[in-house]
Amino acid sequence: MSSSMIAGQSVRLALRESTVLLMAGLFAALVLVSAWLGWQATGTVNRIYLDAASFLAGAGKPVPTNPVLDTSPLILMRNVSIYVILIGALSAIVIGNRLVALDRKAGVLPLIASRSTAPSAYANGKLAALLALVAGLFLVASAVGTATLLLLQGAVITAQMWVHLFTFFALSALYMMIFGLMALAATAAFNSESVGLLVPVTLWLAMTFILPALTLNLTPTAVLNPITALATPPDTSFFRLSGWALGPVSLAEHYGALSAGLLDYRPAEWVSRSLVPPLVSLIAAFGIAAALARRALIHLDPTAEGYDA
Amino acid sequence: MRNPLFTIATKDIRDATRDRFLAITTGFLVLAALTALIAGAIALSTDVATYDAAKSTLLALGKSADAIKPPEFYPMRLMRGAIEQIEIVGAAIAILIGFRAASAERGRQTLALILTRPVRRWQFTGGKIVAGIGLLAFGLAVVMGVCAMLLHLMSGIGLTGNDLGRMALVWAISVLYMASFFLASFLLTLHLSRPSTALLIAFSLWLVIVLIAPQIGDTMDPDNQVAGGVFKALSISRPDQLNIMKTYAGFEAVRNGIEVASITKHFERFTFAVLGIKATYTGLPLGPILTEKALDVLWIILATLGLTGLTLALPLNPKTLTQE
Repeated sequence: MSSSMIAGQSVRLALRESTVLLMAGLFAALVLVSAWLGWQATGTVNRIYLDAASFLAGAGKPVPTNPVLDTSPLILMRNVSIYVILIGALSAIVIGNRLVALDRKAGVLPLIASRSTAPSAYANGKLAALLALVAGLFLVASAVGTATLLLLQGAVITAQMWVHLFTFFALSALYMMIFGLMALAATAAFNSESVGLLVPVTLWLAMTFILPALTLNLTPTAVLNPITALATPPDTSFFRLSGWALGPVSLAEHYGALSAGLLDYRPAEWVSRSLVPPLVSLIAAFGIAAALARRALIHLDPTAEGYDA
Repeated sequence: MRNPLFTIATKDIRDATRDRFLAITTGFLVLAALTALIAGAIALSTDVATYDAAKSTLLALGKSADAIKPPEFYPMRLMRGAIEQIEIVGAAIAILIGFRAASAERGRQTLALILTRPVRRWQFTGGKIVAGIGLLAFGLAVVMGVCAMLLHLMSGIGLTGNDLGRMALVWAISVLYMASFFLASFLLTLHLSRPSTALLIAFSLWLVIVLIAPQIGDTMDPDNQVAGGVFKALSISRPDQLNIMKTYAGFEAVRNGIEVASITKHFERFTFAVLGIKATYTGLPLGPILTEKALDVLWIILATLGLTGLTLALPLNPKTLTQE
């Protein structure tokens, strides 16, 4: 059996799973909601400015410039980064888990092993299936994002802005792949379906809500707001040290900052304190997760019994 | 045979302590809460040090220190991050405990065995609920106890009896809040044909209720659209701001409606008021706060009672419970 055959069959099987469809549907719906939210919130601030300007002019006070005019149209998509951190990463975990758990539960591994299939072909097939499913999600997200910018904004989008937008979607796919790969590795490595799911979920919780508290003094609610998540951390030796040392594994923080840079809402004074630059951290995490997933899949014993809930 | 409900509850608690599940989940929540609390305390101590340095400089120059505002120090406000961790991580842990309580009997044929004894089905479900909520209460007591001890040591002025009473009240409401997620997950895992599907649906609900609904409400807040706040950027004072926002009453009603559809927001509003985390409630006596926040408490109690009633009332299907 070739890896492409395994990948194709895995994709078909995953797409028949109600849980995969539920999470993917929720993600696509939220990308649409986030686009609407960005448009609606920007419009509200604009209206408030007009009201405030007439109020200030009436009171004989100076009228400051409209803060909305200083922003790029790409800022409309800022909430997508939050939904990638939340539902996107969880969708990838579910996809990664299902890709291996379905085979283990159905007992097809001994059948695959009985054919002339190298363990590496099985591993490569699963990695390719994960990549195809995550890429599919992002094709949908990119289509929604592009349509939103074309229909709602009515502003001129430069070629450079389009490049930024599609780079943002590629970065988001990379971020989701990291969690999908973690799930592939955990589901192949542990003999319990629940543990295979809980290990990547726990890592996701820690990276999303605990590490930003240590490195940036961000509360969990602040993490969920694309603007407040970019607040400058207190200038103390503790936060300087924690940001430097824990930075390489604080992946949600890096993804948020890089997204803000691509979507043009990152404050000019923002600097990374991490030992490893944000993009390098994400690429390294992807590489490590891919290596772990491949290794766990290659070492998956097809004759192992006792895989349970 | 002892009361079957009690026997089943004891057995579940014993199982949870035997395989370190309780220790791991409680430890994770303690870690999350303490991380937030300590990070907040360090940030505050920096503010105090900055203020002291600025004050010394002014005094050395022979000027008055009144020109700079001293940082406000209310120890209970440091609980903000810990409360938010209970809101998010605590609810996720409650889902896991609910999943575990139901899935433990599936595929092992243990339910059929239990039902050969004189046990009513509601007693079986009731025993599981008592054990699950008991575990949550114990875990939260550890979290609150450690937080109170740390606050007492870090604050320098110590916690008063009133502060401890407020923390006990927050513990009680946290148990109810987490119980609602435990019950939702337990109910789904008992009645859906596949436990893993139940776990994923429970997590999807958690995403929508705990993270997405409050996030949408927060994002729709105009003051969160510009770094530092739109009104601050426009140099508009608080009274003028309220005046302008009067014309946005409909918009604010929709925003608030999205937020209060989530039990998490009710929990947050109540706990932030009781602990004085929200500035408007800092230093207020408990009585008026409880009166004002009675609806939030009622919402949480009704959600928990409703889910308990539903779990006890729905008939168990032994066929489903023998499937893995």
